[in-house]
Amino acid sequence: MMDAQLLISGVIFGLSIGSIYFLTAIGLSLCFGLMRIISLDQLLYYSVGAYLTYSLSSASGSVWLGVLAGMIVAGVVSFAVERLVFLRIYERELPFSLITSFGILIGGIGVIKFFWGVVPRPVPVPTLAQINIAGTDVPAYRLIVIGIAGLVYAGIWLFLNRTIIGKAIRAGIENVEHVEGLGINVSRLFTITFIAAAALSGLAGGLNAPLIMVDPQMGIEVLAFVFMVVIIGGLGSIKGTLVSAIIVGQVVSLGSLIYAPLAQMAPFAIMLLILLIKPTGLYGSALLKR
Amino acid sequence: MPPDNGVAPDEGEILSVRGLTVSYGEAKVLFDINLGVKPGQVVACVGRNGAGKTTLLKSIVGFLKPLSGSVTSGRTPLVGMPSYDIARMGIKYVPQDKKVFSDLTVRENLELGSYATKDYDWDRVTGYFPKLKQLMDRKGGYLSGGERQMLMIGRALLGSPKVLLIDEPTEGLAPSIVAHLKNVFGELSKSTALVIVEQNLPLVCAIAARVYALKEGHMVAELADRESIRPEVCERYL
Repeated sequence: MMDAQLLISGVIFGLSIGSIYFLTAIGLSLCFGLMRIISLDQLLYYSVGAYLTYSLSSASGSVWLGVLAGMIVAGVVSFAVERLVFLRIYERELPFSLITSFGILIGGIGVIKFFWGVVPRPVPVPTLAQINIAGTDVPAYRLIVIGIAGLVYAGIWLFLNRTIIGKAIRAGIENVEHVEGLGINVSRLFTITFIAAAALSGLAGGLNAPLIMVDPQMGIEVLAFVFMVVIIGGLGSIKGTLVSAIIVGQVVSLGSLIYAPLAQMAPFAIMLLILLIKPTGLYGSALLKR
Repeated sequence: MPPDNGVAPDEGEILSVRGLTVSYGEAKVLFDINLGVKPGQVVACVGRNGAGKTTLLKSIVGFLKPLSGSVTSGRTPLVGMPSYDIARMGIKYVPQDKKVFSDLTVRENLELGSYATKDYDWDRVTGYFPKLKQLMDRKGGYLSGGERQMLMIGRALLGSPKVLLIDEPTEGLAPSIVAHLKNVFGELSKSTALVIVEQNLPLVCAIAARVYALKEGHMVAELADRESIRPEVCERYL
């Protein structure tokens, strides 16, 4: 029987991991939903965010400044990648973007190794404060990460439901041709979405940097989990991505408390189970083919 | 620049298609198509399934790139122009699939049309389709086929298009809605040229001033006088 303190710690730990997964997966999900591309390079922007956080926090002493810089640089790098690469392959079949983006990820890891080396880098936690929840002390930083993810979800929801660009993106997720037929420049929507996705991946990397050791392979290490989050939630669904990230985070966290190898294995079992029951994922619709 | 086949567009035409040949990969589906639309004219395109009617409309609005030939509006060549620019020029396409944005409300669907055209006057739209007024807060996914068609046409009307290309507008709709659409097309044609792809020959013959018949990608007939625009005549070319 798991004691209450361990359970509370495990749930908070799971929510914070889930928050990182959510912030990274949302980009992948939106890119697929709107552009029908698999953008594995989002994991590169995740690493860029973490490394910028490392460098700037080392130089300035402020992790938050590093997180902000990571988001901005991730957005700028993604803009270049979108203009130079993805703009030419949007019309191609899905495997083309999968392979191309994986190539960008691997190439990007090489660039990271060139600038920062292969030695893992530590990033200080911005606050060591503990907050007591039902008799259990939990790290305030993990709660901050969860809070930021919550705010991002609310922000995305407001953007998609209250702004005309957001509505156009929602419409584009359903049918790009119809949006273009109204006279809306879909290519601009693609660029906005791609940059926003990368900035969120950069945010995820920056926020996760103090919780892990920053290393060149960190994007590859979370790839399987992020992919699982997107698939379980349903491709293109924001709500699905959030729910799925929470599930996967909890399964990893609580699974490891019950039996350590479960942390790696259980999410795959959950994914298979959900896909057996609902092949499009929890909140996905049948939008694989445009 | 003269069109590829050397046939110049008619001076009075608002939309001219000359020598249009289109393929899907290796398979040619349209062969040397010519079509002209004058301001305020209702032009119909008839033919069996697979004749190439939808391909023709999609090629005009830039969703498909032709192998050869030209599409011009006035003096502006449309081939190679992004489809959103063609729409902004006032050449709008209403697809056959009757798929409105199902996750968006009727109001949001219209907002997108307004955003693209900067035309926020919905009175004209609701004037043609009063029912949309009551459905403003209903999501597209919960509309009936007829309501969806009204919304699609209404959405396309924002910005007062010069030419409206409507693909199979009455397919699968109740007779009362077809009758309503027929009246709307009649009213619309006073200000907007219409190109209607339709298999409902009585409707076509009642509203069209010119009928093109397509068969297996070839234009097999062009009927331009009231005497010949009759269902039994059109039937011969299908």
